[in-house]
Amino acid sequence: MFSFTKEQKVLDIKGVRVGGQPGVNPTLIITGFFFKSKPDRGLAERYIPGLISLSGKLGNPVIPDFFIKREEYVDDVVEIIKEILPGDHPFSVDIVDPAVKVKTLERLHEEDMLSRTIYNSIHVGVTSKEQEALEEYKPEAAIVLCFNPKDNSVDGRIEVLENSAHLNDKGLLDLAKEVGVDKLLLDTAAMSPGENSGAALAAIPVLKEEYGYPVGCAIHNVVEKSTWLKNYDDVYRVVDASSNSAVPLFGGDYVISGPVEYYNTVIPLVAWFDILVSEYTEGYFGVEPSVNHPRRRLLR
Amino acid sequence: MLLNVSYTPPSTVAIYGRLKTENIGVEKIVANVISNPHIRYLVVCGEDIKGHRAGESLVKLYYNGIDSNHRIIDAPGVLPYIENLDEKAIERFQKQVTIVDMIGVTDKDKIDEVIEECNKEKPLSFGEPYIAIRIKTRVTRSGDTRALHSRVIMDYTGRVKRREG
Repeated sequence: MFSFTKEQKVLDIKGVRVGGQPGVNPTLIITGFFFKSKPDRGLAERYIPGLISLSGKLGNPVIPDFFIKREEYVDDVVEIIKEILPGDHPFSVDIVDPAVKVKTLERLHEEDMLSRTIYNSIHVGVTSKEQEALEEYKPEAAIVLCFNPKDNSVDGRIEVLENSAHLNDKGLLDLAKEVGVDKLLLDTAAMSPGENSGAALAAIPVLKEEYGYPVGCAIHNVVEKSTWLKNYDDVYRVVDASSNSAVPLFGGDYVISGPVEYYNTVIPLVAWFDILVSEYTEGYFGVEPSVNHPRRRLLR
Repeated sequence: MLLNVSYTPPSTVAIYGRLKTENIGVEKIVANVISNPHIRYLVVCGEDIKGHRAGESLVKLYYNGIDSNHRIIDAPGVLPYIENLDEKAIERFQKQVTIVDMIGVTDKDKIDEVIEECNKEKPLSFGEPYIAIRIKTRVTRSGDTRALHSRVIMDYTGRVKRREG
């Protein structure tokens, strides 16, 4: 369990609070939709209500993360969000192709949905058109991916935040500041086994102490890249879901989990670890859990 | 090299696999190919990976190499950086194999036909294997067992703070 000397920023993203000292706010669960498929309205209808209801019961906030693979999917995803995700609930858009990123920002602006949007993500491959689009159509928050193609160590992750590993003329934190997005979630970039996969976890307390921003990662991606584990069908899903527990244990603030089908396991599991962390951090550091913390909800 | 395609090559190919990413994925293919001098043709087939454009990045590496920033010249992918191969390894890759660009082709018969043509050439081995990447066994220890990282330390309670100096 950790406590940080650096002042920790707590972000409010449309009512979802993320960040701070470990033990204060429950771990935010960002859950992936459509990663391996086209936009699927049925899937969203099937899982979003349950996801939100379980989150309300246990206290861990959830934000759906919609993967948009192709430009022609943008409109469908935006429609699904508008129609299925209630009210002002925030969401995140996970996009690889820079052209699709630009188009999505434009569409979200037209629909007046940018104030609910987490942009996933700003990284060293950012293009000038993408930067211009971010400046013009500012999302509420952005995930900053600390992937360094030159160095997969913890220092490599710091390097991209500070100077983009010299692949761009400025570091990712300055770049985000320049485009005007100030609610930042640092993503420690989970890598495959054999690519220093543990560094994604080791980087969490280091980046928290260095910058004070909320920090997390998609640690379950390491499980998905562990091909040997696929020979053990009955435990694969258990390991995938339980990998998320490492983030609160390392002092992190959010997990990017997936696929959404696992949410019934992931949310209670993360809530359980949040309670564990909260009991120690309150006892030793005097850090009190927030009103919605699972420790307050579930232990009476 | 299979991109987005549902296809299993015939047993006459030396090795096949899937390519997903324009950086580490490409590096692994190059390192693997040049470790076997008998591989003289590299067929890249299937629809390219959206956003990453890994197939096109591999082809561009073959034709253009990398610039001083280690970026594959003219590669269309998001992060086409080659960091774990030196220029000699890339040069060796360019010389050892002939790349057959079938990006966009998913028809089994067409791919089989091209593989058969490559096999008919019966090219000789390129020579000695080239070992581009070795597993590092060296472990460095800081000597400070309380250390989390060179920038921060943690006391026995779990309190993290910046390391002085």
